[in-house]
Amino acid sequence: MAIDYTDVLQKLCLHLEQFAGPGVVITPETDLINQLAIDSVKLLNLIMEIEDEFDISVPINALADVQTVHELATLVHQIKSAK
Amino acid sequence: MTSTINLEGKTLSSTIAKLNAPLTQAFDPRLNESPIAVNPTPTLNTQAQRLADFETLTAALEYAAAGTAGYNFYDARGNLRSILPYQALRANARTSAQRLAAIGLSSGDRVAIIADTTPEFVELFFACRYAGLIPFAMPVPVNLGSHAVYVQQLRGMLEAGQASAAVANVDYINFLEEAAEGSSGLRWVGTPEQLGEFPVADIVLPANRPDEIAYLQFTSGSTRTPRGVVITERALMSNLQGIVRNGLEIRAGDRCASWLPFYHDMGLVGMVMAPMVAQVSVDYLATRDFAIRPLQWLRLISRNRATVAFSQPFGLKLCTLRVRDSDLEDLDLSSWRAAGVGAEMIRPDTLRNFAEKFAPAGFDERAFLPCYGLAESTLAVTFSKVGQGFQSLRVDAGTLVDRKMAVRLQADGRKYSEFVNCGQALPGHIVKVVDDAGQELPDLRVGSVLVQGSSIMTGYFNNPEDTSKTLRPGNWLDTGDLGFLFEGDLYVTGRRTDVIIVNGRNIRAQDIEELAEQQPEVRAREASAFGISDANDVTTIVLVIECRLTSITDRQSLTNRLQRLVYMAFGVNCLVELVPPHTLPRTSSGKLSRFAARQGFIQRTNLTDQLSAESGDK
Repeated sequence: MAIDYTDVLQKLCLHLEQFAGPGVVITPETDLINQLAIDSVKLLNLIMEIEDEFDISVPINALADVQTVHELATLVHQIKSAK
Repeated sequence: MTSTINLEGKTLSSTIAKLNAPLTQAFDPRLNESPIAVNPTPTLNTQAQRLADFETLTAALEYAAAGTAGYNFYDARGNLRSILPYQALRANARTSAQRLAAIGLSSGDRVAIIADTTPEFVELFFACRYAGLIPFAMPVPVNLGSHAVYVQQLRGMLEAGQASAAVANVDYINFLEEAAEGSSGLRWVGTPEQLGEFPVADIVLPANRPDEIAYLQFTSGSTRTPRGVVITERALMSNLQGIVRNGLEIRAGDRCASWLPFYHDMGLVGMVMAPMVAQVSVDYLATRDFAIRPLQWLRLISRNRATVAFSQPFGLKLCTLRVRDSDLEDLDLSSWRAAGVGAEMIRPDTLRNFAEKFAPAGFDERAFLPCYGLAESTLAVTFSKVGQGFQSLRVDAGTLVDRKMAVRLQADGRKYSEFVNCGQALPGHIVKVVDDAGQELPDLRVGSVLVQGSSIMTGYFNNPEDTSKTLRPGNWLDTGDLGFLFEGDLYVTGRRTDVIIVNGRNIRAQDIEELAEQQPEVRAREASAFGISDANDVTTIVLVIECRLTSITDRQSLTNRLQRLVYMAFGVNCLVELVPPHTLPRTSSGKLSRFAARQGFIQRTNLTDQLSAESGDK
């Protein structure tokens, strides 16, 4: 089941909208920590949603190198493509 | 916290996620095949049960290896991925011990191990003991974007523990190698697989002695000054015996289920060592898998008829919030007789909400077993009585704050604070409560909680300064907690201001302040960090900085940077307040008073009414 990066990004943004305050537009450069304020509890929920949406397992060690929406989308796309 | 969790309108797919494959496996489809069909180690053992009456940990394993019990590891979907009977653990650990000898390590050297929830970690830990080495567990990274901070954290532990060897599995080895760069003390860094390539040295493994160091336990996710608690075999075995016999009253037919991290004392001592020294089987779920889907832990208890399972209050909260009512139908929690709760302040409502939610699934609230402990006393200090549920005391909130006295509530309608009874000290231990001058206080007076007894640490490794601050004359351990005694039972009312507890994690205020002071704009002693809790018991970290910057852009840049740094180091958001110089209150010796800083912040921001009453903090 091929999925391209743009699809991943688009779907991801739908899940991220819950964290965006009024007037915040999510772009690939959006910073998950500073701009969306995703703390550790929100992160758990987000990972669960991502895993269910894309039917993947997100390895926790890979998250240490994720700070932006683009980096998260790239990671999801990478895992998805490897399957 | 409640507001951040979105349970509505999001259905959890019934094909509960893919297994928690490590990164390498996630990218390798061949390894994602269905799990091997094996049976977990049995609950009923073939050997006579001995309740922790051993001199050393390896002596206990030698005995357990003659039976059929052991450890079982489950994946995120609830499939059994691997089993490690105590018999196999003994054999593998002894072989690895002889390989460790081949590296050229000598007795008493420290071995650092990144502690993922895997059989390999447990084998290595015991291998170190067989080889006379001192293992210590290091955490796995958990926060977004935490790469640099995590590596710094590892480096701090490697240095503080003066490790001679360091091991991580393939998922974490890159972080470890990065942290080990430039280290002069490390003689070997690698994965368990690489260790397996060493020859098995033909040496006789000497028996451990009760007075030798069993392991080091690092106590906080501190970035700069991690402290390794030194625990001897004697202290360890004393505490394990207390836990198994007096705390849990372990008996034949018991089985444990745990998601607690192996790098945490409650996970390692309580749920790896304690079951083994009583020859009881354990079912493990990785912490990450529990955190994302707490239901899997309850399913494990239900399916394998576990009787003993521990959690921090935060873990219970996650279950209450995130398990759907429709999932309850398939759960039967009636076998769970000891639901241990500890490692942080226990709020009665956390327990009530959990009991209410899971009663339809057969959870019996009499299973609640509040306890109190800390790594500096190996693990456990007090246990309430098993099978009686939790008891609590409602005390007048005003008197508690103003006079540091717990006055039992006489009339309804007054504002009260409710504290959970954590029970009595284990045999061989004494708990006392003292005032600021060190004088012992009578019942119901709030002060510092001190412990003396056979499980107390020897000190912090290679850190006499902090050791002498924590171990007072007469070998009384200053726990850093505040509380009172009533009829021999301990009630913990809070932490002193040097630790902030957010989402179940202990964060040292000093660590946050040091992070701030590393910024060029912030001078030493001009940052103060503390926690404030609102009426819903949600704790926010506040960082107040004395700041000379005038430009709005510069101030915003500093605020953003600090929030980002705190997040990357601790995984929590914080509130940054920039104040003019000389705003923060200081003591006569020039030290900042966090308590006074916190009072000042509350006044400035007019928060008084929204905060929960806290006990007589200093």
